[in-house]
Amino acid sequence: MKPTSSSYLKSLVCLVMVTFSCSKEINDNVASSYTPAALDEKGGTWKPYVLVSPNDISVAAPKDITDPAYLKELDSVKNFIAPRVTPENKQAIAYWGAGAVYRWNEIARELAAKYNLAPAAKSDGTYPVPDANNPLADPKFPFANPPYTARALAYLSVAQYDALISAWNYKFKFNRKAPYKNDNGIKPLLLTTDLPSYPSEAAVVAGASYTVLIAMFPGEVPYLDSKLAECKNARVWAAMNVPSENSVGDALGKAVAAKVMARAKTDGMSAANNQALTPGLIEAAKGRGITTTWISQESPLRPPMLPNYGAVQTWNFDKVIQASIRPALPYIAGSAEWQKELDELKSIQKNQTRDQARIANYWADGAGSYTPPAHWHRIAANEGLKNTYSEIRMARTLALLGTAEMDAGASCWETKYYYYTPRPQQFGVKTSVGLPNFPSYTSGHSTFSAAAASVLGYIFPDQASTFNAFAKEASDSRVYGLIHYRIDCEMGLVHGKKIGEYAILRGKNDGSGL
Amino acid sequence: MHERLPINNFKNKHFIIVLAFIGFSAITCSLSAQLPYDAIYMPKKTVCAVAAYSYSEWTEYWENTLLRDNANIGKHIDQSAMLMAAAGLTDRLNLLISLPYITTKNTQGNLLGQQGIQDLTLQLKYKFYNQKGLSVHGVLGGSMPMSKYVPDFLPMSIGLHSTNVIGRGIVSYLHQTGLYVTAHGAYIGRSKITVDRDSYQAYDRVYNSNRVAIPNVTEGGLRLGYLKPTFQVEAFLESSAGVGGDNILRNNAPFPTNNMTSKSFGGYLKVQPKNIGFSARIAHVASGRNVGHSTMFMAGLLYQINPKSRTESTESIDKPHFKIIENQ
Repeated sequence: MKPTSSSYLKSLVCLVMVTFSCSKEINDNVASSYTPAALDEKGGTWKPYVLVSPNDISVAAPKDITDPAYLKELDSVKNFIAPRVTPENKQAIAYWGAGAVYRWNEIARELAAKYNLAPAAKSDGTYPVPDANNPLADPKFPFANPPYTARALAYLSVAQYDALISAWNYKFKFNRKAPYKNDNGIKPLLLTTDLPSYPSEAAVVAGASYTVLIAMFPGEVPYLDSKLAECKNARVWAAMNVPSENSVGDALGKAVAAKVMARAKTDGMSAANNQALTPGLIEAAKGRGITTTWISQESPLRPPMLPNYGAVQTWNFDKVIQASIRPALPYIAGSAEWQKELDELKSIQKNQTRDQARIANYWADGAGSYTPPAHWHRIAANEGLKNTYSEIRMARTLALLGTAEMDAGASCWETKYYYYTPRPQQFGVKTSVGLPNFPSYTSGHSTFSAAAASVLGYIFPDQASTFNAFAKEASDSRVYGLIHYRIDCEMGLVHGKKIGEYAILRGKNDGSGL
Repeated sequence: MHERLPINNFKNKHFIIVLAFIGFSAITCSLSAQLPYDAIYMPKKTVCAVAAYSYSEWTEYWENTLLRDNANIGKHIDQSAMLMAAAGLTDRLNLLISLPYITTKNTQGNLLGQQGIQDLTLQLKYKFYNQKGLSVHGVLGGSMPMSKYVPDFLPMSIGLHSTNVIGRGIVSYLHQTGLYVTAHGAYIGRSKITVDRDSYQAYDRVYNSNRVAIPNVTEGGLRLGYLKPTFQVEAFLESSAGVGGDNILRNNAPFPTNNMTSKSFGGYLKVQPKNIGFSARIAHVASGRNVGHSTMFMAGLLYQINPKSRTESTESIDKPHFKIIENQ
């Protein structure tokens, strides 16, 4: 049949509709609530990182379920709060239903992205240093680069985990049942479990996360206040907790996190950007045989990122071990092996395939992104969600990962400044992903990724080969993006795997039996 | 098609095309200039083919509202070679087609230049009304990417990789002396795009998706010129703005979601004594936001094909001619 002009018109209208009818909405919030596969009743006996015992912070016994004060709370939830739940409240309930650990990790990644921008040069050619006391000035504090973000997420996850160990201890000690089990007139808006509800695990995580994040992102206090309130309120709106279970949980979480942050204050981060050390580092690298040392490729010359981050306190091994597993001397600029690897980069630069560019872009996680360690946190959190992990098992997963990533960051940075090697860009190579401002060997992406893949392969053994393939691709991506020599990536992978094994060792001995 | 985007938004290399397009059009055979925003038409069964080269550069750009330079970019240069054709389906309905090849580079820093075939643009231009020198026209068209270029490596990317639809209205008055004034406005709907990464920051949040919603665009222009069968000269003002969109973050690279806004001015010249002609265009972004402070030059060669040996030019702007058509 010959198309008529009106059928052409209809086709055109259809095409237009298909292409543009949809709004500009991007639907990316796929996580939803679930019933954990296991309650992990023994979670209160798992080994914390910073707490000495789960009773470090004391929590008073809850009132009896026949106590008038508790009955009044139940009545309020049933007769005052539930009838007034709004559609917005329900959105918040659904959002937080994916899990407090999951959402606070996501919030932290978002903040990392928001603050992951290097300070702009001043007109005199120097670079201003972000000021924690004036976090919203230009430049904003912090510059949430990969080492900063790895550390922020490590403390976040450790605080959540230690706080939940304590919470689990009290939950099963007091065994207060959930509101809907004590009053069958209460209809919860989330899936129910047999987990004791005192203190509220969501509030514990909220209080702990809030305490870490206002220290790591001091310009975000109003935003974090709102998230803290929403996280706790959603539990009451959903009739999963009464308010007093939240306030006790919030206080417990904050108290545990305060102990965790006491470690953060003395872990050496305050000296991580000690630029006075760099001349000595350069001389020491030359003494080790490095003939051409790294020079910033930015204009004006930018001081190297966190030259003393390698001295920051690690989690799963000490500084003696850190030195003992440091990768060996790389190929020296000018050697035949080095030339071969430079030639590989020049060849890719000339004929970069679309698939190489895709891989480079996918794993780049550069300026304005949540960084490679947070990319792995996202992968881990989604895997935990898929496996319907309890809050405490999710926290354990992210703490094992988070500490491994911070250890990877510190050890990789120690290696970078130990050898102080030049980037390929010092020899005329361009980049399709942007060039980080610190020495080349070893690749941070490779180290972070191999450490993460090994930890996650231990936790999710059926996905181990997938994670290893991810790590290999993330590592290769830095060659495809033209900013690392092959040796930087290969040795980074080996290094990262060793670092991950120390976290696995810890996991195997943390009393979880997992 | 998106014509007239100011010469060089970072992100919207369309502008290049546009410019080129413009140039071409301008160039377009004889009086039948055929720009998607002019009042000139190719006569029925006449085709004008154009080959154009355009060059745009900027050393300063608007990072949000801050006009700055960047020693890690130096001068940013976009160049394009474009093929374009304008065909008279009827005397009052023309089809415009264009396809550019674009290369980008910086004079400083280490960002790798990009190159490739960008987007194919098809537009239909129709003359609704033409009386006593006053004419009213509508343009409907669309564009789609012709290669898998990377859209979010800005400012090096050659385009944003969206599929677009465009609607434009044109009002023009041509005096018998050859002086004319034209005003036009357009709305460009842009599809979501897909990026290689599966997470990005935009609109003050992080999206865990590889789909990116980029703003639609509005454009406007005012042109004043002198038109004769073998000669055209014009001065113009143009503006382009996103509908929504966000801004470049402090010291960050641009991103496709940015609202690229610009106001530019320029001039255009076309000479076509015979079937072969020449056109040139220059434009400069006077003010903007999230775009390069760019200057663009375009030069084009045009060739008019008249299968029925319909000559030229003038007829397309010749009122009686159109009247005849209208009466058919």
